[in-house]
Amino acid sequence: MNPADIRITAEPVDVGRCKFVVSEPLYEAGVRRFTSAADAAGSALAEAIFAIPGAEVAEVIVAGHAVTVVKRSPAPWQAVGKAVGQAIRAAFASGRPLVAPKPAAAQAPAAVDDDVLYERVADLFERQVNPMVARHGGRVELIDVQDAVVLLRLAGGCQGCGMADVTLRQGIEAMLHEHVPEVQGVVDVTDHAAGTNPYFSAAKK
Amino acid sequence: MLLPTATYRAGAFVAAARRLGVSLTVASEQPSTFQEAAPERLLTLDFSDPERAAAQARAFAARVPVHGVVGVDDDTAAVAAAIAAALGLRGNPPAAAAAARDKYAQRTRLAAAGVPVPRFTRHRVDEDPALLAGRVPYPCVLKPLRLAASRGVIRADTAAAFVAAFERLRRILAAPDVAACGEPARYVLVEEFIPGDEHALEGLLAGGRLHVLALFDKPDPLDGPYFEETIYLTPSRLPDAAQRAIAACVERAAAALGLVEGPVHAEVRRNPSGLWVIEVAARPIGGRCSRVLRFVRRDPGAEAGDLLSLEEAIVRHALGEALPPLEREPAAAGVMMIPVPRAGVLREVRGVDAARAVPLVEAVEITAHPGQPLVPWPEGSRYPGFIFARGDRADAVDAALRAAHRRLEFVVDAD
Repeated sequence: MNPADIRITAEPVDVGRCKFVVSEPLYEAGVRRFTSAADAAGSALAEAIFAIPGAEVAEVIVAGHAVTVVKRSPAPWQAVGKAVGQAIRAAFASGRPLVAPKPAAAQAPAAVDDDVLYERVADLFERQVNPMVARHGGRVELIDVQDAVVLLRLAGGCQGCGMADVTLRQGIEAMLHEHVPEVQGVVDVTDHAAGTNPYFSAAKK
Repeated sequence: MLLPTATYRAGAFVAAARRLGVSLTVASEQPSTFQEAAPERLLTLDFSDPERAAAQARAFAARVPVHGVVGVDDDTAAVAAAIAAALGLRGNPPAAAAAARDKYAQRTRLAAAGVPVPRFTRHRVDEDPALLAGRVPYPCVLKPLRLAASRGVIRADTAAAFVAAFERLRRILAAPDVAACGEPARYVLVEEFIPGDEHALEGLLAGGRLHVLALFDKPDPLDGPYFEETIYLTPSRLPDAAQRAIAACVERAAAALGLVEGPVHAEVRRNPSGLWVIEVAARPIGGRCSRVLRFVRRDPGAEAGDLLSLEEAIVRHALGEALPPLEREPAAAGVMMIPVPRAGVLREVRGVDAARAVPLVEAVEITAHPGQPLVPWPEGSRYPGFIFARGDRADAVDAALRAAHRRLEFVVDAD
């Protein structure tokens, strides 16, 4: 495969976090979270991203076709994103495993639990939540799980929808409590003001 | 919680229920995509027919206990009253909520009770405006019976202006979303224009007694020809005696309508001739404006600095709790309902970060989305957004709101 043929779409969540969706699978055995360059040793993708000069990468989360990068640098994603794209393509070109299998030794309990929760929440979103919100042209994206708190983003018809909070609290959160009761909270990181096609728009006073 | 899909208030009320630890069922007029998965938390009711909605709610309550009901706008206030009556919950008599919802019915009841209201007449939309124009006082204001946010409200100073306004309102009333409300859309209310300062009172009725939560000044003159709102500021800078007079007038008006429980939002005009009730609504303040209201909790168990939102107070009252002492926080607060800059399609809003950076500005919420048509008043009823500010003095808050607004640039393509 020619790395130049790989398509990468950046989806900034906020100034510190950006999700990159890649046209090729990155890691299909669940979720891997890397919290340091040392942690990333053996995983070409994470190594390359942690090595980006000036980005001050703090965390790399890889699952399926997506890699989420958390940075400390205040540099805008327009600049850092290009370097991330180059790092992704370089990792593919290296021929080395993009993401090494999870080590047998246990990680810190909180990190293991968050990764397990991530997989379960991702599965719930894919199998149950997204088919429901798709009826209104919406989509729910799992951004991360941190300390058992789910960070998600609403897209499509849900972004900017006047009933987004109802969908979130009465629908999504309720399903999480039922199916993944270990989840301690849900945080919506959506930029609702940027929604271009909300399913319901506020109108009446 | 009766939340129409077009409401601005879903977030505030859902958040209030969460903070209170209340088990919440949200009812809307259209089904949520999660309704089948969460039938105890999501419900569809016919908001166009309060009695039918009450029957649907009764069926729901047979399997899920319901302890309170809240409506958030004029229409759902009437539905909430019907449900409350059906389920034996705290609420207004349905007839009172219905009277509050219809401007002609409201004017009629208030006038009969001696509450000062503008002189008014009601006319069918198919009457000849040229004939009517010779019989109405000038300046006058033409209004639809049921629309909210001053949609369709037009001032006319001359016979020619009256005819033009009547024709324009007739077209608004013929719009599908308006005509759907049936008979009320076939009438026009004409009333004398009352000059003077306008104030808005936010209150909560408990057993017929009005608890004044806030009195707002509206510093920009609302003289027409259209009546899009601009800035609300609280605390009011009126003398105490004047504020008490407004409160007393609104309480009389609420009693005249038969309202006894729940939120009240009233608009009052004040001039050398006295006070005039423009509207009493059995609902809370509109749009996102409730954000400016925070109340210091003084009930037992409250910690220092605990603040209560308007929505929390409304929900607690609906659940049958006695109202805790509610005192608005000491800070001055204000909200600007951002005016529609011009007709067209919104492409982008620039300067939001700069607007947020204005001292005293607490938040800038752009509620219009890219690609959304912006429709000026009187045909429109959607504000592009809201600006919120808080500070020591109302005049400083006022200045901050205007300064923030000046930093916003709306990129609008012509239709």
